[in-house]
Amino acid sequence: MSNLSSRSKFRAATPGLVAGTALLALALSACGSASTSGTGAAAGGNAGTASVSNGAAQVTVSVEKVNGEDQCVPNFSSAPAGPVTFTVSNKDASGVSEVELLSDKRILGERENVIPGLKAVSFTVTLDGGTYQIYCPGAGTEKTTFTVTGGASAGSANGVSDQLKAGTEGYAKYVAGQVDSLVTAVAALQTAVDSGDVAASQKAYAAARPFYERIEPVAESFPDLDPALDLRVADVEPGAKWTGFHPLEKDLFESKAITADTKALAAGIVTNVGTLKKLTDDLAASDGYKPEELANGASGLLEEVQSAKITGEEEAYSKLDLVDFVANIEGSQQAFEYLKPALTQIDSGLTTEISSQFDTVNKAMAAYADPEALGGYKPYTAELKASDAASLTQLIQSLQAPLAKIAEKVATV
Amino acid sequence: MSNEQPVDSLSRRRFFGGAGSVAAAGAGGLILGAGGATAVGGAVANAQEPNPAADVERLQAASAALSYPYYGTHQSGIDTPPQDHLVFTAFDLSATTPTELQLVLAKWSAAMAEMTAGRPVGKVEPGREQGVPVDTGEAFDMGPQGLTLTLGFGPSLFDARFGLAKFAPIDFANLPAMAGEALDPAYTGGDLCIQACANDPQVAYHAVRNLARMARTSVKTKWTVLGFGRASAGPTQKTPRNLMGFKDGTRNVSGEADFAEHVWVGEEAGQPWMKGGSYLVARKIHMLIETWDEDPIGDQQSVFGRTKQEGAPLSGQSEHDVPDFHATVAGKAAIAPDSHIALAAHENNGGTKILRRGYNFTDGLDSVGRLDAGLMFISYQKNPEQFVALQRKLGSSDRLNEYIRHVGSAVFAIPAGLPEAGSYYGKDFFA
Repeated sequence: MSNLSSRSKFRAATPGLVAGTALLALALSACGSASTSGTGAAAGGNAGTASVSNGAAQVTVSVEKVNGEDQCVPNFSSAPAGPVTFTVSNKDASGVSEVELLSDKRILGERENVIPGLKAVSFTVTLDGGTYQIYCPGAGTEKTTFTVTGGASAGSANGVSDQLKAGTEGYAKYVAGQVDSLVTAVAALQTAVDSGDVAASQKAYAAARPFYERIEPVAESFPDLDPALDLRVADVEPGAKWTGFHPLEKDLFESKAITADTKALAAGIVTNVGTLKKLTDDLAASDGYKPEELANGASGLLEEVQSAKITGEEEAYSKLDLVDFVANIEGSQQAFEYLKPALTQIDSGLTTEISSQFDTVNKAMAAYADPEALGGYKPYTAELKASDAASLTQLIQSLQAPLAKIAEKVATV
Repeated sequence: MSNEQPVDSLSRRRFFGGAGSVAAAGAGGLILGAGGATAVGGAVANAQEPNPAADVERLQAASAALSYPYYGTHQSGIDTPPQDHLVFTAFDLSATTPTELQLVLAKWSAAMAEMTAGRPVGKVEPGREQGVPVDTGEAFDMGPQGLTLTLGFGPSLFDARFGLAKFAPIDFANLPAMAGEALDPAYTGGDLCIQACANDPQVAYHAVRNLARMARTSVKTKWTVLGFGRASAGPTQKTPRNLMGFKDGTRNVSGEADFAEHVWVGEEAGQPWMKGGSYLVARKIHMLIETWDEDPIGDQQSVFGRTKQEGAPLSGQSEHDVPDFHATVAGKAAIAPDSHIALAAHENNGGTKILRRGYNFTDGLDSVGRLDAGLMFISYQKNPEQFVALQRKLGSSDRLNEYIRHVGSAVFAIPAGLPEAGSYYGKDFFA
């Protein structure tokens, strides 16, 4: 499915220009927040240097009420270059629930769920000499300066940047592979349609859809392409021509008749998928993908599942919604997997939670597999929707809630 | 059904008498309202021309700023004077480990402290462009609005899933099946509940929405009811009306002694975490409003045992007259023995009282085209048996049953209040 509001979610349409605006907005908001939550040493902080034990400098950060205000209080304000373990606990500050270590705006490490009454949690980061910030969103003083003395450190935070770079490159290859398969699949679809064989065309339609659905956020980032390929009838502007997969789906599954128009639709899909291949190849060869684009794409695919598949709007004629559903999940998980090595360094707890939610979803979806059915999954009939839609919604919401948090953590800013 | 009977002479007199006294009460209400506004405005307002718009603004500001303490012996939202709006939600846990449950309870306890103080539960506008807002924002800057959040544990929480059987209060179980029920599983039970009450409906809704959101991977919303008007009175409040048009909650539990005797749990639950707690019974009661509306006034009053306008017992003159269940008129009981108030009165139930804290609800039309509306009955008592005993009686012989159906039901153990920041509900379970 396509709509204007979601199209720019994965990627700004004109990267240079829009990214510039985004940076400006960020700079402005940083200035705005600096006046209310400036950087400074928190009350009660110790100015000394943390000593090394168990192979890492040990710093504890106590989140607590100080003079009636929620504060983050580190016991040391500096450490020698190398691994540093931050052990954080929350005594009684109900307004703070996470602690991050920042280098400028990059999150190097963090723990969420730092909740009053729960036991301490820790994260370890390897730091070069320089200035960092301990960031406690919601605290009276949100940012506390943390200094690392000495020079570069082997296996430092730069490792995360390298991992992210490798991840985005890996994802570009994945997209290229899906698009290549899509090119082949829509060519087969056109052949089947041209032959006039409705049953063969239905099969070819079901075979082609997942390749598109797995990388839909990338396709949506090209302003005209996704509407040309994947518009639902309800979203067609009055007077505009309805093209792409879904009018073809209507011919094949509702009227079950192949006309000259049907053949023209198939040919149009082949042309547009050719354009998609050229655009994605160009993108990979130039800027490539940003980590936050993978993250937003992963979350965007789950939005697609909730807004179009669970409602049964996407494949209204073929009832192949669960085929698309599973393809969206696969695409989402792929994007996540490419970020996972870096994300594990940044927030291992969240990474584990997301992996486990993907496992839960995949296991649940396996129950809908049906080798006899077109596309390999049960048709999403009105009866199936009535009985299962609510539990499917719950399943996907439980995955999207943690997944939506990762863009901020891997963002290159 | 007895509505073919003529209105008897007593209720006819009450009816006309009632009309007169309500006109007076209406005027009194206006005067009181103006007095209240003046008090808020202070001496300056006295010297000025009447300015109703400014009075309304001042009252709204005072209502927005109202905040109840979060930490204390008892949870708020029980003996708190009932606010105007309710969002009641029951949740089931999708979590499978005690650690996940512990995290939900700790997160909720901290977030409830923030929201009842009128603060968001995290950034509405994160500093980083890729940040997802933590708080959903629709209550930002609206003030605490008298928000109270009351958390409860359902009997199912103590089943085998989390190993909490040894923490179950003594005899804590689902309510038994009773006469007069037509329960819909979609509105029954729950592992956890949140009663959110506030002077502004959006503030109450925001609270439940954000609690559900922050626990999304562990908790799923089972059922929810939005109450738009309170249907019970606190000690100093004017008695509100239910959707049948009758005053509800006239003889409610009130005062510390009553609460100690009827509402607050002591040692009898056998669990330290319940000492100072209570039990919440929730009943979603669908009123058959269209048929009720066509029922003659004599029958309506006889069904309740009270006059409609004044709310006086049919044995008396004014709302707070103590009902005399022995009074007769022309040889017949003034208050019919099968009227609602006769069956529910503590005098006729061995002294049993429950704290009623219900709200009117409406939710469009039901599946057969009737108004889907009624009473979200909520009561607090030190033992669910208090409710069960009363409802057994009401369910089998209350004349009101012709016009109501109990469609939802749940019971929750309400833990004692949190003593201070740093503690959380259910902490004992995870020691």
